[in-house]
Amino acid sequence: MAVIRTEKICKVYNPDTIPVHALKDVSIQVEKGEFTSLVGPSGSGKTTLLNMLGALDMPSSGKSFIGDVEVTKLSDKERINFRLHNIGFVFQHYNLIPVFTARENVSFIMMLQGVAQKELLERADELLESVGLGDRKDARPHELSGGQQQRVAVARALASKPRFILADEPTANLDTKAAMNLLDIMEKMNEEQKVTFVFSTHDQRVIKRARRVVTLVDGAVHSDKTTTPDNTVKE
Amino acid sequence: MKILLKIAWRNIWRNKGRSAALLTAIVIGLWAGVVTVGLMTGLLDQRIDNLIDSEIAHLQAHHPEFREEHRPEMVLPDVTKLTTWLDEHQSVRSYTARSIVEGMFQSPVKTSGVRIMGVDPERERNTTTFHENLVSGDYVDADIRNPVILGLELAEEHNIEIGNRIVLTFEQLDGELASAAFNVSGFFRSGSTHYDRGNVIVHIKDIQELLSEKPVFHEIAVVLHDIEEAESVVMAINEQFDGLVAQTWDQLSPELGTIVLLGSFMLFIVTMIIMIALAFGILNTMLMALFERIREIGMLISIGMSRIRVFFMIVLEAVMLTITGAAVGMLFAWGTITLLNREGVDLALFAGGIEEIGWPTVIYPAITLGEFFSITVVVITMTLLATLYPAYKAFRVNPMEVEKDT
Ligand SMILES: Nc1ncnc2c1ncn2[C@@H]1O[C@H](COP(=O)(O)OP(=O)(O)OP(=O)(O)O)[C@@H](O)[C@H]1O
Ligand SMILES: [Mg+2]
Repeated sequence: MAVIRTEKICKVYNPDTIPVHALKDVSIQVEKGEFTSLVGPSGSGKTTLLNMLGALDMPSSGKSFIGDVEVTKLSDKERINFRLHNIGFVFQHYNLIPVFTARENVSFIMMLQGVAQKELLERADELLESVGLGDRKDARPHELSGGQQQRVAVARALASKPRFILADEPTANLDTKAAMNLLDIMEKMNEEQKVTFVFSTHDQRVIKRARRVVTLVDGAVHSDKTTTPDNTVKE
Repeated sequence: MKILLKIAWRNIWRNKGRSAALLTAIVIGLWAGVVTVGLMTGLLDQRIDNLIDSEIAHLQAHHPEFREEHRPEMVLPDVTKLTTWLDEHQSVRSYTARSIVEGMFQSPVKTSGVRIMGVDPERERNTTTFHENLVSGDYVDADIRNPVILGLELAEEHNIEIGNRIVLTFEQLDGELASAAFNVSGFFRSGSTHYDRGNVIVHIKDIQELLSEKPVFHEIAVVLHDIEEAESVVMAINEQFDGLVAQTWDQLSPELGTIVLLGSFMLFIVTMIIMIALAFGILNTMLMALFERIREIGMLISIGMSRIRVFFMIVLEAVMLTITGAAVGMLFAWGTITLLNREGVDLALFAGGIEEIGWPTVIYPAITLGEFFSITVVVITMTLLATLYPAYKAFRVNPMEVEKDT
């Protein structure tokens, strides 16, 4: 079964004043283990679609399923709890709690989930090591570079053992080296642990590393290409 | 909950300047509240104590109509029965019987209407502090014939000096007028110019001789070991004795009741103003703090922190600040009150002529533990109420705020 499935999702902002049709009948499926990139010009609806996939926002019409749960039917409160246990998020900025150390930021989400203290500390350390921050566990976000902060965010997203991770322009604020490093880590997680990633990006170097590229234009899916391991492109 | 405490605690330290400002506001609010209440209470207490101690005592008994009509024939019946009863009553510390008539005060200069009070100096001394009001000369036990003491105001109006002779005229019990010469032995100042202008004090035996053949009394003032028992002793007297009415100090002096009422009302207004200022200060600061963190809160809700936890995170921050602020404020306030209580505050510095209306000039601020803690509770409640709105705002944050660019 697909990890995420949307059925004819439409999103209209400001329906009563100056309506903006941000998404038009978007139906896509994301399977387990995908490494998918959402691309498209600015204003094409990437963020809006990620908000729908992540149950952060409700579509104006259409349905959205995560596993066998129809998230578009959940209440705000149920969606928050659903996100906590099922979805990992990496944002462009403001990912981390500034007053918490890297370790505390990663532990935090597990505390919200009610994971036992001992287990969550071990897991936080493990995850920080796997994103290459084993020696910066006690640093606060402002003591970390942008790339390091995004890696903490990835570790945090993974910590909750989500069904998939959504990332909205995770590399937008990073230089090439940091961006590639972050991609390496995401790719490694994807390959080794079969973590499903869906991320939006403008960045050609990032797009190249995606195995599936969904292109949005004016709120509609314009193309959907999958690169198979033998590098042939399937539309 | 532990994690919320931790995050709230860290957030307090995040903007030290702002937290310090909030803390200061709470400290000052509490301090100002306590000191205002303390000053006011000190003022009222002293005024009340002054009146109670110097003349009213804790309770009094009169002929049922005496307090309205002030007629000389409205005397207390069977005084010995009452005094024997008082002598035996455990709650009674002491009492004094007085003869009171309205009359004319005549000096070479002019004539004024006065209230003439005959007191037993020995018993009066043991019961009230009126003798302490004497500013010059001797009390009515002076070794002269027919001594009289008068208020400074009256003496000034009549241009009288100690040793002068004046004439008092009043109605006797049988309705005839009596006049007698009295020798001024001293001046008093009670704290109320009104009182000092309208009252003279003589020895009870001097006036009784003139009033009737047998000694008569119009008033018995009683001091108890504990003022709180006034009500029950009054009830006991009214049950036991016919032809007289006993009343507690607050029934006796409606002025006191008004003072207390007015005082508490002013107190209420002043503390309300302080508290509202405090609440708005806190509301404003918390809203600013919230506004700066709106994206972060959006992120927290996005990744799955429940709104109720977000709400409590904000409230906890305020709670911790409030508890710290309240503790510091309580310390400061208590210290200030203790110090001022020892040293006294000279109101004459701020308000000249305050003694004219019978208020003490040096006041000793005091506060009961009850008042102290209720102010603290009010401050804490105000702070928390002021936090509810920002916390509710945080509760309502749209998770998508996290995506907005700065
Ligand atoms: N909250 C909103 N209210 C009104 N219109 C909005 C809102 N959010 C997005 N839009 C509009 O919806 C359309 C899609 O926006 P969206 O942010 O999804 O685009 P995007 O592909 O993520 O763009 P970018 O690459 O610039 O991030 C745009 O026209 C945008 O102006
Ligand atoms: Mg976007």
